[in-house]
Amino acid sequence: MFGLNKIIPVEPNINFLGLRRNFLIFSILAILISIGLLSIKGLNLGIDFKGGTLIEVSTKNTSIGELREILSSSYSDVSLQEFGNENVILIRLQNKSNQESIETVNSVKNLIQDKVVEFRRSEFVGPTISSELLFRGFQAVSFALIAILIYIWLRFEWQFGFGAVVALTHDVLFTLGLLSILNVEFSLATIAAILTIAGYSINDTVVIFDRVRENLRKYKKLELVDLFNLSVNNTLSRTIMTSLTTLLALVSLFIFGGEVIRPFALTMIIGVIIGTYSSVFIAVPTLLIFKFRPQDEDD
Amino acid sequence: MKNYPIWKSFTVISLVLLGIIFAIPSIIYDENSENWFLKNKINLGLDLQGGSYLLLEVQLNILYKEELDNFADSVRLISRDQAAKIDQIVIKENDVIVTFADITKIKDIRDSFFQMYRGVSLQINNNKLNIKLNDEYKKIIQDSAIKQSLEIVRKRIDESGTKEPLIQRSGKKRILLQLPGVKDPERIKDLLGKTAKLTFHIVDDDNTSALNNNLAPFGKMIVLDIYDENIKYLLNKRAVVGGENLVDAKGSFDQTEGHAVSFRFDTEGAQKFGKVTTNNIGKRMAVVLDGVVITAPRISSAITGGSGIITGNFNAQEASDLAVLLRAGALPAPLEIVEERSVGAGLGADSIAAGQIAAIIGMVLVCIFMILIYGTFGALANVSLIVNLFIIISLLGTIGATLTLPGIAGIVLTIGMAVDANVLIFERIKEESLKETKVYQIVKNGFDRAMSTILDANITTLIAAVLLFAFGSGPIRGFSITLSLGVIASMFTALMLTNFLVYMYLSFANKKELKL
Repeated sequence: MFGLNKIIPVEPNINFLGLRRNFLIFSILAILISIGLLSIKGLNLGIDFKGGTLIEVSTKNTSIGELREILSSSYSDVSLQEFGNENVILIRLQNKSNQESIETVNSVKNLIQDKVVEFRRSEFVGPTISSELLFRGFQAVSFALIAILIYIWLRFEWQFGFGAVVALTHDVLFTLGLLSILNVEFSLATIAAILTIAGYSINDTVVIFDRVRENLRKYKKLELVDLFNLSVNNTLSRTIMTSLTTLLALVSLFIFGGEVIRPFALTMIIGVIIGTYSSVFIAVPTLLIFKFRPQDEDD
Repeated sequence: MKNYPIWKSFTVISLVLLGIIFAIPSIIYDENSENWFLKNKINLGLDLQGGSYLLLEVQLNILYKEELDNFADSVRLISRDQAAKIDQIVIKENDVIVTFADITKIKDIRDSFFQMYRGVSLQINNNKLNIKLNDEYKKIIQDSAIKQSLEIVRKRIDESGTKEPLIQRSGKKRILLQLPGVKDPERIKDLLGKTAKLTFHIVDDDNTSALNNNLAPFGKMIVLDIYDENIKYLLNKRAVVGGENLVDAKGSFDQTEGHAVSFRFDTEGAQKFGKVTTNNIGKRMAVVLDGVVITAPRISSAITGGSGIITGNFNAQEASDLAVLLRAGALPAPLEIVEERSVGAGLGADSIAAGQIAAIIGMVLVCIFMILIYGTFGALANVSLIVNLFIIISLLGTIGATLTLPGIAGIVLTIGMAVDANVLIFERIKEESLKETKVYQIVKNGFDRAMSTILDANITTLIAAVLLFAFGSGPIRGFSITLSLGVIASMFTALMLTNFLVYMYLSFANKKELKL
């Protein structure tokens, strides 16, 4: 039987925990910067959460500049953007009221009618809906974190639950921070991506924790740091393999899946990388806070 | 084949076959098929097949306000009947506070009022009667308004000729509309944007001072002209007859008046209309639609036939739309569009094509990678992965789930994540092979030890997916469905199908040792 799996040794022996201080500092910095970015720059909220109007058109014999000129004479708050290729243009407008937006869509359509091949989509989200969607998004993410915590707590000891939630919160904040820097549009699909990242990251963490628990029973005498290192090494090839296959699928989605889904794919790619990193370098070291055995008290 | 029970092989093979067979309708995808089997195909969401999604909110506050006005009017009438003098009536947000000159009749008035409006809270405080629009009463108004609105919206949409619309209540005061194939919902929005409340009122042309002071006396109201805001009419507040008495309305053409809407009353409406026109010859009759006067012709003779025409400066489309609205009936309150998403068929088709390409390429990449890393075992896992995809498709088709663009993303993601269970198993087998020498024991241990990890890991993903379904809307729910189905299917394919394939392979290849 052939296989390239020899690249990853069957029994790797890498001292992950030895590097924990460096990674801890890195992660704390990343989180602080993320929080700073989120509170100063904020997220690039899409119309799902900001409200407003979005129209996607495919055009002929025109340029984005020309369309901008036509529209900006009537609307001061219009923004245009090429979407995928130069013939597809995304028009965004901020509306104040529900009624106004209906008229806006109609008049925008009339203004550019003769430049447009097809109105590909139009979306309008009123101010009441957008704030509701934002609230529900927050609710979903918080409930997911709590539910996962409870599950881990039931299946493992509570210390593991703590470690998992620290890692999860880390992933969510870090991902949001990167979304802010990269100015990726934050939409309903992003909430879905964040929740999936939470699910993925915890999945990764659980696999390692599972091994930690197993090794705690198996090697009663081993130092905790060594035991954790052993557990991470035991599961290392699986961690890498699963991340890679998931990333392969996501990169394919990012490149070929179309313009609409691209922000979602990008968010997931970021999240999978951070989630994998945190399982090894954040979740496991967090367990060191707790004394699982009496003899480790002077550790 | 050693140690592999027949019943288990049978179960695995039948489930796999079912998964493949029930994926066929969705793969062939014949939109118009009436065949019972081919009908079990995946429903495409509006974002994939093109169409419009509208969320409408019933403006309940207007109804509450109207009801409070009704309270005030009724109290005035009752007090007049009982010869009680009212000093002042104040209408607040949820209350009407009536101050009487003395307290002698106040209890009788309260009781009479309660006979008319059961359920309101009434409180007497010295010479003040407090009528409260309480939450239970509001809920009654709300429920009946939504029910009525749903019915009217349904009628109007049906009249517009939209195929297979989905119209349902959403939350407390909203109506959700899904209109497949409707790319440009402007006409629909026009049809829903009007309450179409039609009433006929006698015009009071004698009391000119009321109009000059812009102050309507009790029982009268001032209404503007639809075309010219400077023209005002003083009308009897009480309508002679209303749109609810109409049995038919259609666009018509009148030689002298141009486009018009001709209508017919039911028996009750015809009688009322006949009586009032008989008694008011020479006066004007105003036709009021949604709070403005469309026309106010003079009554030249009694109209007892129960039919008539409404004229105005209509064009043909406007006349026929008004007729549609009148036929469907009036909405109890205006509807406000709070969310709208329309996707053209072109973008939908592009999304499907892009999703398919992404899924196929993702699949090929993952398969190649698995073979590179795990060799033959990787190939076995790939068979599971492909079957996994078939099972997801057939489950989506048979449970009648809706596939959305995020749903496709969920499938592609599942392709990447589904091999995880296989990877866990193979890595365990690899470890076991260092300790054990008996091939079957190695495989058995590998599967057994990986089991609890697989369950733990997948249940956490399922938790996230279920919460996403609970809190998400529309397309996002599509994502959570495909993700959940993918997770469940991948557990089955890894723990049962891969297991079966591995045993098969080992027994046919007659392996004596195992190196992964």
